[in-house]
Amino acid sequence: MATSIVAPKRPFVTLPFLLPSWTDALALGSRRHQSSYRRTKQRLRVKPDASFGPSHQGRDHIIYNPPSSAPSVYHTPNKFLPPNDARRAMRPATPASFDASDLPNVHKINDEAKYHLTPSDIEEIRKLRLSDPMTWSRHKLAKRFECSPLFIAIVCEASPEKKQIQKQVLEAVQSRWGTKRRMAREDRQLRREAWNRDE
Amino acid sequence: MKRLQLQRWSSTVLSPRARTVNRLHQHLYSASLRHQSTAAPLQSEPQDASIGTNFEDPEVMRQVRSAHKRKSQLQYPSPPVEAATNSAKLAALHARLYLPSRLPVQTLARTLVDASADPNADFNNESLATLGHDLLTYYTSEYLLCKYPRLPLTVIFAAMYAYVGPKTLAAMAKEWGVDLAAAPGGEVDPGYLQFRRVDPGTDVNAATDDVKTPRPYANAAKWRKTVTSKIFYDDEFGDPIKGASAPGEGVTAEQASATFVRALMGSVYLHAGRPAAKRFFEQHILSRSLNISDLFNFSQPARDLARLCARENFEKPVAKITSETGRLSRHPVFVVGIFSGQDQLGEGAGASLLEARERAALSALKGWYLYSPLNVRVPSSMEEDGASPWEPAHVDLGEVIT
Repeated sequence: MATSIVAPKRPFVTLPFLLPSWTDALALGSRRHQSSYRRTKQRLRVKPDASFGPSHQGRDHIIYNPPSSAPSVYHTPNKFLPPNDARRAMRPATPASFDASDLPNVHKINDEAKYHLTPSDIEEIRKLRLSDPMTWSRHKLAKRFECSPLFIAIVCEASPEKKQIQKQVLEAVQSRWGTKRRMAREDRQLRREAWNRDE
Repeated sequence: MKRLQLQRWSSTVLSPRARTVNRLHQHLYSASLRHQSTAAPLQSEPQDASIGTNFEDPEVMRQVRSAHKRKSQLQYPSPPVEAATNSAKLAALHARLYLPSRLPVQTLARTLVDASADPNADFNNESLATLGHDLLTYYTSEYLLCKYPRLPLTVIFAAMYAYVGPKTLAAMAKEWGVDLAAAPGGEVDPGYLQFRRVDPGTDVNAATDDVKTPRPYANAAKWRKTVTSKIFYDDEFGDPIKGASAPGEGVTAEQASATFVRALMGSVYLHAGRPAAKRFFEQHILSRSLNISDLFNFSQPARDLARLCARENFEKPVAKITSETGRLSRHPVFVVGIFSGQDQLGEGAGASLLEARERAALSALKGWYLYSPLNVRVPSSMEEDGASPWEPAHVDLGEVIT
C-alpha cells in the first residue's frame, strides 16, 4: 500500500499520535488545519479540460461535454435514413481507421448456415426422432447432422409421449425447488421481460 | 331581515333532494315526485292556500318570482339556456380555457350536458361530441402517421389512446377544473358537468354482448383477431366497438368527462372555425408530452432486426463488444454494439452479454421505427390560406412482420 510506505517518511511533527499529548494543545491544532487546507487546495488544482479554457481566441463556441450515456433512440442511424433525407450528407462518415471486424464477437462461434441437408436427411431426422426419442434428442441429432438444434425443432416435432415424459421430469425437478430458488427464477424472468420493454 | 319560512314553501320550491331529510314529506309526495333525481318534472301543484301573505310586499313578491323561476327550471332535465349567462362557473371556465369569444357560453353550457342527463338531442352534447371525436382522432392520427411514418400498428393504437383516449380526456377535464354535478337537473348551475351516474354496485368492466361490432365471429372465444383486422372492425384505439349505452343507463364520470372534452372541441370547430379548432388541439392535446419510445414491447428484437436487415438488403447484423468492465466481478458491465457492415445500428449496455446484445438490438429496432422526417407537414395544413404545394408524406415498408 502506498500510504503505509509514505507515512514513516513524513516529518515527525505531522504524525501527532507519536507526540506526547500536551504538544497538540500548543501549536499543532492550527498547523494541522493549515496543512489539510493546503492539501485539499492542491488536489483541486487539476488541469482543466481544453474545452473549458479560454483557448478559442475570443471567438464564440459551443462547449459540448456530454456525459456518458446510452445514445438516444430518436437519433436514427445513418443506414436507416431514407436515401432522400438531408441528414445523410450532414453527418460525418465513419473514420477509415475504424473497422468493426476488429472488435470481439459476443458469441464465440459465428458460423454461417451451410445448407447441406437434403430432403432424405430430413426424412431420416424425423424417423429417428419419432422412433427413439430418448436417445435421439435435439442436441444429439444436431450434432450428427451438423446443424443447429433450432433447425431440428423447425423440421420435426417430438412425439406426444416424449413431451409428456419431459413435462413430468420438469415438474419433478421444480418440486424440489425451495422458495429462494423459485423466487430467483421468477425474478430472472421478470428482468428478462424488462429488457424487452427497455427498462 | 325577514326570514323565509322554508317549510311552508317546501312543497313547491325546494327540490326533492334537498327535502330528503323530511321523511314525512317524502311519504306525502312520493306519488308525484322522484326522489333520486331532480330530472322529473314537477306536477303543477296548487299553490298552498294557507300562505296568508301580502302580495304588495316587494320582498314577498321577489320570493314568489324566484319560486316561479325555480319551478320552471325544474320542468327540464338540464339547465335552461337563459341560466348560462348568469353562471359564474361557466364564465370562469370560458376565460380559463381562453376559448374564442365567438364561442358563446350557451354552447359551452350545452357541452356540459351529457346524453344520460338530458336525452333530448337538441339540448345534450352528443352531436357536438361526435364531431369533436372525429376531429380529435383525425388530427392525432395524421400527426402520428406523418411524424413517425414507420411506427408499428400496435404502437399507433397505444399512442392514439394516450393522446385522445377517454382516460386522458377525463384527466384534462379534471385539470381544467370542471366540477361534476351530484345529479343532473334544471336547477343545477350550468357550470357543472351533468350526467346520470351509474348505479352503485354495477360492474363497469363487465363484458357486454358486442352486438354493435361489425367483426364476424366476434363472440367466438378462440377466433384469432389480427392486428390488421383491427383497422377495419375496431375503433381508433384498437378496441372492439361498443354500442351506445341504453337511454336509461348512467355513465361513469370518466366517460362523461371525455364526452365533454370532445363536445368542446366540436363546438370550438363549429363556432370559431377550423384554425381555432386546430390551435385548440395543438395547445391542449399535442402539447402533452408522450414518449413514444416507451410504448414499444418486443419479444424477439434480435430476430426482428435480422429480418429487417434482410428485407432492406443491409448486411447481416453482428453483435460486437464495444467495451466491458469487470467481467469476472459480481457486477460486470458490457457495452455491445450491433453492426451491419461498418455501420453501427444500435448500442446497449447490460450486466450480461446476452442482456447487452438484446438491448442493443432493441435500440437498433427503435432507431428504425422512430425515424422522423425533417419538416413534417400534415394533410390538414393544406387547408390554411397560402399553403405551399403538397409534397407527399414519407411512406415506406415500415413495420417488420415476422
